[in-house]
Amino acid sequence: MTVTDVPIATPSPVLAAARRRGRGLAPVLPALALIVVVFVIPVLALLLRSVLEPEPGLQNYAAFFASTTYLKVLGNTFLVAGTVTVATVLLGFPVAWFLAIAPSFWSRLLFAIVILSMWTNLLARTYAWMVLLQRTGIINRTLMEIGLISEPLPLINNLVGVTIGMTYIMLPFMILPLHATIRSIDPAIFQAASLCGASRFQAFTRVMLPLTASGIAAGALMVFVMSLGYFITPALLGGTSNMMLAELIAQLVQSLLDWGLAGAAALVLLVITLAIYMVQLRFFGFGQARG
Amino acid sequence: MTFLEISNISKTFGKVAAVNDVSLEITQGEFVTFLGPSGSGKSTTLYMIAGFFEPTAGDVRLEGRSILAEPSNKRNIGMVFQRYTLFPHLSVAENVAFPLRVRRRPAGEIARKVEEMLALVRLESFADRMPAQLSGGQQQRVALARALAYNPPLLLMDEPLSALDKKLREEIQDEIRRIHRQTGVTILYVTHDQEEALSLSDRIALFNQGRIEQLGKGRELYDAPRTRFVADFIGHSNFIDCAITRSEGGSADIVLPDGGTLNGISLHGAAVAGARAGLMIRPDRLRFSPLGEGAEPGIDAVLTDATFIGETYHVVLATGWGASVNVRIPASRIRPQDLTMGTHVRLHWEAGDARLFGQ
Ligand SMILES: Nc1ncnc2c1ncn2[C@@H]1O[C@H](COP(=O)(O)OP(=O)(O)OP(=O)(O)O)[C@@H](O)[C@H]1O
Ligand SMILES: [Mg+2]
Repeated sequence: MTVTDVPIATPSPVLAAARRRGRGLAPVLPALALIVVVFVIPVLALLLRSVLEPEPGLQNYAAFFASTTYLKVLGNTFLVAGTVTVATVLLGFPVAWFLAIAPSFWSRLLFAIVILSMWTNLLARTYAWMVLLQRTGIINRTLMEIGLISEPLPLINNLVGVTIGMTYIMLPFMILPLHATIRSIDPAIFQAASLCGASRFQAFTRVMLPLTASGIAAGALMVFVMSLGYFITPALLGGTSNMMLAELIAQLVQSLLDWGLAGAAALVLLVITLAIYMVQLRFFGFGQARG
Repeated sequence: MTFLEISNISKTFGKVAAVNDVSLEITQGEFVTFLGPSGSGKSTTLYMIAGFFEPTAGDVRLEGRSILAEPSNKRNIGMVFQRYTLFPHLSVAENVAFPLRVRRRPAGEIARKVEEMLALVRLESFADRMPAQLSGGQQQRVALARALAYNPPLLLMDEPLSALDKKLREEIQDEIRRIHRQTGVTILYVTHDQEEALSLSDRIALFNQGRIEQLGKGRELYDAPRTRFVADFIGHSNFIDCAITRSEGGSADIVLPDGGTLNGISLHGAAVAGARAGLMIRPDRLRFSPLGEGAEPGIDAVLTDATFIGETYHVVLATGWGASVNVRIPASRIRPQDLTMGTHVRLHWEAGDARLFGQ
């Protein structure tokens, strides 16, 4: 690929030597053990239950893919995750840009807002959206008062509400990597582009976008994958008729006690996630900023 | 004919006057350098021409037309920056092609021009490299090729060589001189290195605190500095404290701290009788001879140090009141035995070589 990948591909001699002596793994063993215990083992258990319950075979997977309900849930999940990803890119890019170029007072203030909203309790934030989005909520009332609508818009208990709430919750995960990428670009490069004759639009498409592609990809992967498996916000802002996959899994386990089918659904999600990650890896390395 | 006319431009940042009423006229094909200490307003002036800063007052006219209303991408001006500004995601050839691509030139013309430009900076074999694979000097040469690719009438360079080591700097200075000759482009060049300014430029504008202190050929600034700042900044100078006893029409009589007097020295800057002043003489214009040999007017001093530095001697003398004076004498004009420490001598000079600056 590009030259700039070289530092990643050539580890320091010290590290290489440590690795040869086989001591490289020692410091990561506790974390590795934790991951095996709380992630790998449960996933394997679930995988086993999905092919063993109620009897050995692939009938759970067959049932999952044969059911239009379940496939619709899968479709919903992709639709919401995709929309949320696109929305966070479109909303997050200007914010990340502003954070990188604004006078320090404003950028620090905005940064604090972004971080604080991330640190605020997830449930509290989701309930806040319920207040805003309900039939008699601020949004509907305002729109009706200024006469844009006569009937309250259905903004909650459906995928619209889920998408709005999740876009807000995922925004920081897009802004932070994007901000790091944009800040690593010397602003003089844009002055050079301008003197070379590039309009603002050309500077954006020919310089800014290529130089931030890796940051966008890293943020988009993070948001998309997190959205695929998200539970709380869809559970609170979504409706019963249009579920997302995590909700379905929870329902299968909690209400229907169908561990086999839940395992199959979970595994479908995991495989899709891994596939997306491989594609990302193939095109953008480890999501590292280039240049 | 005036090609670029900068008239009375100023730029203030808050309360700081970064550039203060600067005027300058440049003819086509000229190489003019902005020289001056850090923070003197050189870059700010250049950035106003480039369109990155809007002047607080004044005008910039290129070929008779004001360019201030145009955004920088419409000014058709080339620029090489102090920092490396090649587009990191584009190859050398694509970097040079960039200004032509945004102008939507036909592919054939772009290919031809890129080849021509890379030949101009002698980097033909580097066309497919990425910027990260180039040395600093090569990156600046590519930046130069990119800035010239669209035949701009004016090329701005803001300390393009300051990040390079001395040898490389001199090499690229030669390249810049050659490219200037070859293309005939008008160049405005910023540096705080006076040797670089002297070796490259047709004329030098010496900046100090946001103003042009003096504008002229390098030799003029050296031989006929108009202010103490210019005399101090360009070349080496001795400044001897004295007081003015009489001043009349650009010439003055002075009294030295030891009571010695000198008459009819050319005076620069306002100074009335009684005012303090600095008597400026270049080390290479000073001579000395043993006391009592002839009776030339001058300053009595004692030889305190002499160093042979190849071709010339660097001699240090102390005046009666303890000030030290530097003299440079070609080795061919002095015998080693005349440089005995402690010898009492008289310093003297040609009438035109001393200048008085009021304080
Ligand atoms: N964007 C800015 N905001 C505020 N002050 C500025 C800005 N740019 C320059 N200045 C101030 O203007 C003055 C002139 O700066 P300028 O960069 O033109 O100096 P310079 O001669 O190019 O110096 P150097 O040799 O260090 O590059 C300085 O006092 C500087 O602090
Ligand atoms: Mg500068």
